[in-house]
Amino acid sequence: MSSRKLERLLNLTALLLDARVPVSAEKIQTELDYPDDLAAFRRAFERDKEELRDMGIPLRLEPVPASFPAVDGYRIPREEYALRDPGLTIDELAALHLAVSAVQVEGLSAIPGLLKLGGIVAGVGSDIGVRVAPLPADPNLACLFAAVAGRRPVSMRYGDQDRVIDPYRLEFLRGRWYLTGYDHLREDVRNFRLGRIEGRVVPTGGEAFAAAEPSLEQAGAAWELGDEEPVVARLRIGGPPAQWALQHFGSDRVVEVAEDGSVVIDLPVNHRSAFRSFVLSFLDHAEILSPAELREDLMRWLRGIT
Amino acid sequence: MSTPANSGAAQRMQRLLAMVPWIVAQDGPLTAEVCARFDVSPEQLAADLGVIWLVGLPPYTPDALIDVVQEGDRVHIRFADVFNQPHRLTPEQAVALLTAGSSVLALPGTDPDGPLGRGVGKLAALLGVDADQVLEVDLGAAEVETLAVLRRGVSEQRQLHLDYYSFARDTRSQRNVNPYLVETQDSSLYLLAYCHQAQADRRFRVDRIVSATLLDDTFVVPTGAGELGLFEPDATDPRVTLDLEPAAAWVIETYPMESVEMRPDGRQRVTLAVTAEAWLARLLLVLGPHASVVSGAPELVDAGRRAAAQILARYA
Repeated sequence: MSSRKLERLLNLTALLLDARVPVSAEKIQTELDYPDDLAAFRRAFERDKEELRDMGIPLRLEPVPASFPAVDGYRIPREEYALRDPGLTIDELAALHLAVSAVQVEGLSAIPGLLKLGGIVAGVGSDIGVRVAPLPADPNLACLFAAVAGRRPVSMRYGDQDRVIDPYRLEFLRGRWYLTGYDHLREDVRNFRLGRIEGRVVPTGGEAFAAAEPSLEQAGAAWELGDEEPVVARLRIGGPPAQWALQHFGSDRVVEVAEDGSVVIDLPVNHRSAFRSFVLSFLDHAEILSPAELREDLMRWLRGIT
Repeated sequence: MSTPANSGAAQRMQRLLAMVPWIVAQDGPLTAEVCARFDVSPEQLAADLGVIWLVGLPPYTPDALIDVVQEGDRVHIRFADVFNQPHRLTPEQAVALLTAGSSVLALPGTDPDGPLGRGVGKLAALLGVDADQVLEVDLGAAEVETLAVLRRGVSEQRQLHLDYYSFARDTRSQRNVNPYLVETQDSSLYLLAYCHQAQADRRFRVDRIVSATLLDDTFVVPTGAGELGLFEPDATDPRVTLDLEPAAAWVIETYPMESVEMRPDGRQRVTLAVTAEAWLARLLLVLGPHASVVSGAPELVDAGRRAAAQILARYA
């Protein structure tokens, strides 16, 4: 962008931010560095508006009061434009900078955001001691985050159905992004894989929904990310993986620790084939104790191995 | 990270909208500090200030323009009331910042009440969200003490003694390693290290390290360390040939294949290297009826059936 164009965009932003009443296009043309020719002005002005919108600067088109004949004008509402000072201290800014240097989402730079919060501050540590591969981006990630943060319902196409979702939460797990939300079609809280959403998510424009229950079950393991009828599976894990299971699942899932060191855990399952693969990864160190349905399914599966 | 002079419109404009209120609030900061804070060269900063100097409000007379003065090694901006606050975070910027902050915060051993925890808390408050409730990034679990020992071994270049459960071989072993780095991939933490027993670079999943002890022996990190591939079959590893149903085709995308051939019945015949029998047994168990063994080393052709029979014995 030329400096002249940058200057014009900044002056346009200043004019519309400062305006108490909407500013008509005609006045914008006369006040700022635009061509006199009307067609040329319109083209240039359209491009400028587009650039501001792409930066997320809120442009309102509203009637100019007491204008006759009635005309519409533009305004940038300060309350929607301005960032409240978050009051970050130097060490907090440095910690955030270290974090955004270590963990990146592909194609989404956190640096412009960091500049708004107070800029780049070098801290004492130069790395976090763990190398993190950039997280994959998803075309719907930012839109869904805005909807989660604003508690705004969205419509999206998923599993060949158009659904309206109250988006509660985003989670990155094993290389993929997931959304947890209330599905108005199924009338239940469900998990969705962002990569399986067809096309773009669109805010419905509906009223903000109430905050989700804080006790909301978090999306977790692969066997919890399905949409089958949920069951609780009881599993015994022995041998070398028992210690891992004890650490990994924690006291709320562990039902019993036997004298031989094996552990019994209860796991919620709504994706049966994923659960089967998980159990089989323990070879003969694990056994499904209940329900009979899952036990028999596993035995049938094993007998089918040729 | 530095921004070239003629880079994207949006980037330069957004930087200015962030920089101007900061300079105003600092009341004459050092030019060098502005450059560091906003990641610009002195030349770029001078060019940017040259634009700001022409910005203001109608009637654009000198008294209605923003006043920019570079004096000695300091820069002053006045009469910029219209830009006295930075522009709000876009959803892209917000999600990028919160993802990074929450990720590092979730790493075992990060102090939730430290500077990062407080910073993420303020960021979340700004966005009107509860950071734990709206976004979670799982980079992998580990015992805090174990991870701390590994990180120390890496940063001090000291050898470690590991008690390790090898998932691929289903065995527990003791070994000394030169730790190169800790990395996370697909929500698991790994230690990349040179293993003295194997005399080769190896990847250890941190949550399978039963215990790690820091030794006094140091080591030198060779160039290229830590660039270990995920899986590199050895020419001497035994091979196995499988027929895969369409439901098992993901295997072809997941593991290195020596050959893939489409059969007339719609199945695909693949040949792959096997580094450990337990690995093949697990693969065949998960594939179940969707795969069958065509041929292979004698100890491998029955691996799936044998593992299935051992598991079924528990259910008898």
